[in-house]
Amino acid sequence: MSIDQVETKYSKRSSKWKLILLALIATLVVAIVLCLNIGFAPISFSEILNILAKQIPLVNNSVDPSTVSTINESIIMQIRLPRVFAGAIVGAGLAAAGVMYQGIFRNPMADSYLLGASAGASLAYTLAILYSGSLAMTFLGTGIFQFVAFAGAVITVFLVYFMSRVGKKVPITTLLLSGIVVNIFLLSLQTVFELRSGKELHGIVAWIAGGFTNITWISIYTVFPFVLVGTIIAYFYTKDLNMLSMGDDTAQHLGVNTERVRQILLLIGCLITGAAVSISGIIGFVGLIIPHMTRLVIGPDHRILLPTSTIVGAIFLILCDSLARVATGASELPVGVITALSGTPFFIYLLRRRKTMYSL
Amino acid sequence: MVLLSIDGVECRYGSIKILENVNLNVKEGDFVGIIGPNGSGKTTLLKCISQTLKPHKGTVLLDKTDIYSIKSVELAKRMAVVPQESNIGFSFTALDIVLMGRNPHMKRFQMESGKDMSIVKEAMLRTNTWQLAERPINELSGGERQRVIIARALAQQPTVLLLDEPLTHLDMINQLEIMDLVKELCIKERLIVLAVIHDLNLAARYCSSLLMLKGATVFAAGTVEQALTSKNIKSVFRVDAIVRKSAVTNSLYVIPLTPQKICSPRNCSIHVISGAGTGTLTMKALVDEGYKVTAGVLNMLDTDYETAELLKIPTVSEAPFSPITEESKQALREMIKRAAIIVVTSVPFGYGNLSNLELALEATIRGVKTYVINEMPLEGRDFTSGKATTLLSEMKRYGAIFVDHPSELPTLVNATHDVIKMRKPSALDSGHLKRVSPEQISTK
Repeated sequence: MSIDQVETKYSKRSSKWKLILLALIATLVVAIVLCLNIGFAPISFSEILNILAKQIPLVNNSVDPSTVSTINESIIMQIRLPRVFAGAIVGAGLAAAGVMYQGIFRNPMADSYLLGASAGASLAYTLAILYSGSLAMTFLGTGIFQFVAFAGAVITVFLVYFMSRVGKKVPITTLLLSGIVVNIFLLSLQTVFELRSGKELHGIVAWIAGGFTNITWISIYTVFPFVLVGTIIAYFYTKDLNMLSMGDDTAQHLGVNTERVRQILLLIGCLITGAAVSISGIIGFVGLIIPHMTRLVIGPDHRILLPTSTIVGAIFLILCDSLARVATGASELPVGVITALSGTPFFIYLLRRRKTMYSL
Repeated sequence: MVLLSIDGVECRYGSIKILENVNLNVKEGDFVGIIGPNGSGKTTLLKCISQTLKPHKGTVLLDKTDIYSIKSVELAKRMAVVPQESNIGFSFTALDIVLMGRNPHMKRFQMESGKDMSIVKEAMLRTNTWQLAERPINELSGGERQRVIIARALAQQPTVLLLDEPLTHLDMINQLEIMDLVKELCIKERLIVLAVIHDLNLAARYCSSLLMLKGATVFAAGTVEQALTSKNIKSVFRVDAIVRKSAVTNSLYVIPLTPQKICSPRNCSIHVISGAGTGTLTMKALVDEGYKVTAGVLNMLDTDYETAELLKIPTVSEAPFSPITEESKQALREMIKRAAIIVVTSVPFGYGNLSNLELALEATIRGVKTYVINEMPLEGRDFTSGKATTLLSEMKRYGAIFVDHPSELPTLVNATHDVIKMRKPSALDSGHLKRVSPEQISTK
C-alpha cells in the first residue's frame, strides 16, 4: 500500500473497529444459540428460538405456547442457558484480565493467573471442602465454596502485590517474581492437603480442572457484574496500556499516571479472575492465548484489543465447553483440556503465519 | 520567556549521592549539552527534570512552577523526553508510536483527529520517518527507531525537550540530521533543549552551552568555549585532549589522545622533531613511557605545538608560518645537547623547518641514537628540492634507525634506553656527550 493512503486508513480506523466489534457480537449470539442446541435431549433450533423469545417481554406475546414443551423449556432455561452464559462470562473475564496483565507486565507470558489467583482459589477451596465440614454447607449452601474460592484468589493477589512493594512503587519485575514464587508455594501446600484428603479428593481435583457443571442462575448473577463493570472500567485505561508497553518512564512522560493505572487494572484483573475462578475452577489457557491470538490478527492497540479479546474469549470458551460436553459421551472432559487441545494448534498456525510480525 | 531553573538539586540512591547541589538556568532557545563521564549523574539529572525521580533536596521550576506539582499529563504537553533506549513491548507501527505523542493533548475517549494526524505527519516528515509509518517498530533499525521516538517527542509539541544520548544508535548522517533538526527547533521554535551527549565534538558544534558533570557535581558550566578546555577534559575525563577551533565549522573540536598510562619516570631525555600533528601521538607515547620529552622547533598554533603545551613539554617555538631564526636554531642546539635520543617524525620539510633536520644530523653524527619515522614516503613531503632527502640519508649513514610506523617506536626506544642505561648511565640525561661543531659536519 502506498504511503499516501496511510492517513486515510488511520482516519477510518475508528469505524473499522466498530464493524469488527459488531461482527464479533453477532458471532457470539450465533454461537450461543448453536451451543444451546447441543446436549442429550434433541431440541430444534426453532423451539430454542421460541423458548428464548418467550422470556423476552413484548416479544413473548407472539410466541405460540403450543410450540414449546415445558420440559424442553426448563432444560434450556435452567440447564443449558446458564451453562452457556457462564462459559461466555468466564471466557470474557479471563481474556480481559489476560489482556490487562499482558499489558501491565509488558510480557507475553503473563496471563490472568499470573499473580496467584488460581493457586489461591484452589487452596482456599480445598481447605473449605476438607475442614468446614457439612456444617457451613448446610447453613450457607454451596455458594459458600464459591465465595471462599473468590476470597482465596483475591487475598493471594493482594498478598503478592504488597509483598512486592518497594517504598511507594511496585516494580513489575518484583511483582512477576513474587507471583511465580507464591504460585509455587501455594501449589505445594495444595499437594500436601490433597494427599491428606480422602474421599473428597475426586471432587477437589475435578473442581480444579475447571468446568461448568452445576451452574445456577445465582452464580451468574454474582459473577456477571464483576466481569461487565470491570471490563468497562478497564476500557477507560486502554490508551494508557498502549503507552505502558513502552515502559513506565516513557508512559509517564506521555502523561500516564503509571502507578495508579497499574493499581486499578491489577485490582480489576484480580477481581474478574477471582469471580471467574469461583464458578468455574481453574480453566487455563484462555487468559494466555486469547489476547495473543487477537493481537496477532488485529494488532496491539489495546483500545480494540481489550473489547475484541473479551468477546473472542467468550465465544472460544462456550464452544470449548460444548465440545467438552459431547466429546466423550457419558463422562465429560474438563473444559481446560479442551481449551488447550483446540487452542494450541490454531495459535501455532497464527504464530507461524505472522512470525515476522511478531517479535517479542 | 520560558525558563527552566534547577536549584540546588540533590539526588541519592540509598546513601550514594548521584547528584549534589546542581544549579542551572535555561531559557527558551537554549541548547544545553550535558557532558561528563559515565556515572557522573547525567541521566539522573534528566530524570529529576522529567518528574521521574524526585530530588531529595532542591527544586526544578518550569516557569516558576515546581515540576513536581504539575500533573504528569499537563507536564507532557510542555515537556517531551527521548530516552536512552526504547524497548517497546508489542508490535506497534511507527505511526502508532508517534500518535501516542498526541496523548497528553487528547481526552480519554477521543480518537486522534485530523489535526493530530497532520501534526504527527509533520513530525515524521521532519525526522524522515514518514515512509516507515506502517512498519512495526520492533522491525526498524536502531537509528530508524530512534528517529521515530524523536518524532513522537515532536508530536507532543513541547516547549522543553530532553534527550538522553539521542545519537547513540545513529550513523554519521543521522547524527548530523538529528542535531540540525534539534538546533533548528531551538532557534526557530524557541525550545529549551537539554541533551546528554557523549560525543564532545557534536556537543561543541551544536550546543549553545555546556554543563559538565563530574562525580555528581557540576564541574563546569557556561559557553562551549568556557567549558570545553583541555584542562577541564583532563580533569573530568582523565584524558589528554587537544581542543582546537575548526575553521570549517567555526566550532571547537576535541582530539583525545590515548588515555594516560601510569609509568615510573625515566631519567632520560628524548627530543622530538615534528610538526603539523605528526608528532602528537609520538610525544604522548613517550611521555606516557616516562621519558622527559622536548620538542622543537615548532610553529605556534601547530597541532604539535599545542600537544607540547598540553603535555607540558619544553619546546623551542617560532611564530606561525615563520622560518626558523638563528636564535631559535641556537636554542634548539642547546636543547638537543641534553637529549639521549632523537626522534624525527614524518613531517613535511620545507625551507622553513629544514634547520631542524640539520641540527638532528649534527647530533646523529655525534653519536646520539636517532630514530626516523618514515611513515609517509619522503618524495611526497620533501619541499626542499631534495635537500631534506639528502640530510635524511646522511643520518641513515651515521646510524639513524628508520621506523615504518610510530607505534613501533616506544618498544625500540625502551630497548635503546635499557642498553644505554647499562653501558653508561650518565649519558642518559646530560650534555656529557661529545660535542661536535657545525663546521666539522660541513667538512665531512
